[in-house]
Amino acid sequence: MSLSFERLQATVRATHGRPGRGYWILLSLSAALAAWGGWAYSLIVRNGLVLTGLERPGGWGNLITDFVFWVGIAHSGTLISAILFLFRAKFRTAVYRVAEMMTVFAVMTAGLYPIFHLGRPWFAYWLFPYPNERGIWVNFRSPLIWDVFAISTYFIVSTVFLLVGVAPDAAALRDGATGWRRKLYGLLAFGWRGTDEQWRHYTRAYLFFAAFATPLVVSVHSVVSWDFAVSILPGWHSTLFPPYFVAGAILSGVAMVIVILVPLRRWLHLEEIITPHHLDMLSRLVLLTSLIVTYSYSTEILTALGEPASDPERSTFLYRMTGDYAPLFWLMVTCNCVGPALLLSGKVRRSIPAIFAISLLVNVGMWLERFNIVVTSLAHDRLPFDWRVYTPTWVEWAMTFGAFGWFFFWFLVGLKVLPPVSIAEMKEDLAHAAHASGEVAHAG
Amino acid sequence: MPVEPGVLGSFAEPAAAARAVRALRAGGFADVRVAMPAPFPEVVAAIGKPRSLIDFITFPGAIVGLLCGIALTVGTSLAWPLVTGGKPIVSVPPFVIVIFEVTVLIGSLTNLLAMSAGTWHGGRARFFPAHQKFNADRIGVFAVGGEPARAERLLRESGAEEVGRVG
Repeated sequence: MSLSFERLQATVRATHGRPGRGYWILLSLSAALAAWGGWAYSLIVRNGLVLTGLERPGGWGNLITDFVFWVGIAHSGTLISAILFLFRAKFRTAVYRVAEMMTVFAVMTAGLYPIFHLGRPWFAYWLFPYPNERGIWVNFRSPLIWDVFAISTYFIVSTVFLLVGVAPDAAALRDGATGWRRKLYGLLAFGWRGTDEQWRHYTRAYLFFAAFATPLVVSVHSVVSWDFAVSILPGWHSTLFPPYFVAGAILSGVAMVIVILVPLRRWLHLEEIITPHHLDMLSRLVLLTSLIVTYSYSTEILTALGEPASDPERSTFLYRMTGDYAPLFWLMVTCNCVGPALLLSGKVRRSIPAIFAISLLVNVGMWLERFNIVVTSLAHDRLPFDWRVYTPTWVEWAMTFGAFGWFFFWFLVGLKVLPPVSIAEMKEDLAHAAHASGEVAHAG
Repeated sequence: MPVEPGVLGSFAEPAAAARAVRALRAGGFADVRVAMPAPFPEVVAAIGKPRSLIDFITFPGAIVGLLCGIALTVGTSLAWPLVTGGKPIVSVPPFVIVIFEVTVLIGSLTNLLAMSAGTWHGGRARFFPAHQKFNADRIGVFAVGGEPARAERLLRESGAEEVGRVG
């Protein structure tokens, strides 16, 4: 029997029920991990970046790797909600809300890292242009200022996009809620009543949000790639970086959506809404972006290897593949290229444990990719006197894992206050499916 | 504020609601309003209202964002002319990045304001009789003014589950 409006709404409402012991354990673990990372950071604030493994010539390490990783994770939400909306991809309806939530919390995580990396983080507000008595302004030619604008804009626009999408669903949940939840849903509903006059403006505005968010999502990771590409360091200075970074970001983001959705659909009893078909379609996205990433890896390696033996670019890539960090490089290739290639098989795509495992490995691989780009290039500059192997300290690892705690803490809180599935869009799809099959969509 | 007087019908199916809207409009009811849990295209088409005009607010908003981005980057660079690496003070390629971000930011926020202003009118209690089922699983069709008995008949003939007078 197909899903009815009533059952859909009841299923989504049930996800906001009283949290069980498992939820509290996960929330506590996430909070503890975040607190551990926060404490490690407090040591840096008190003692300086000397507590990290950063030393000439390796000025960037785990923290910038984490920054790029989390910006990448943030990409899938807007891809799934905005770009697939413009392409009218039906499968997005059931999964885009989780991806959007993930985006907002991942940007909240990524945005911390440039601040962590500042020598004097209490002056972070200097990064924003504001009138001051000294009459000085930020340097707009600096890639770090581009980051500030790109990340801030992305955070604001993706939050607005998420909350605008939530409004009709919050109205649906508000009507049957009591106590503080009714007040919360009322707030999130922004006075929504579902009249034709409201839908008329809403649907048009939603289209514009998607149209704004689509180039934004491409710009943000392009800007992050220019942090590297506008320098003259071998391994970084490449025009390939923007499309390569955007494809990699989508790969890691969609893989993270799968990693989250697989346990979530079972835990929140959403199997009827988020079906194996949706996971299959997401794994096709993983496959597509993995092929683009594989092409990018091949292009940059083959281009470098085609250079004369004295070329620093060639030397850097040979070092990546055969030097101190070679095991990490080959693990990255295995996770990002070999693993997803298995998704060419329909049998693998239909196996939920298989796509979960492949997606988990992609996330590991994509973190390693950023580590390879950031660290190996700096560790092997043009002249041998400037070579040094960087090893992260426990403080940096604590902040890396703490970021996962921070992200999952907010995500778990978000799951209990925001509907994890777009009720309104699902109803529209259900009505059409029911009409096509001659059923009645609302019947319980 | 009391709702405007009229006749309200409740429907389970978008096709039936669309039929009712068309029947009411053909029957001389100029002001027919609908509340529904999702923007069902057949109902939207039956109402026949013109496309929202928020384009005319959002697009200028984005243009304002573009101008703000140019003013911010060029103006502040000229106010604090810091020469780095021998590059020009007004350096267009890097400024384009910031100008783009400011355009998207102000354009999106203008779009939000335009949407809020546009949806405010349709969200007023006076506009449509409140009932939670219209956010859940039913479609409400509200014929404002006109001859109530005729509206009731047209709504029933179109397949309304419930019909009642309001206001």
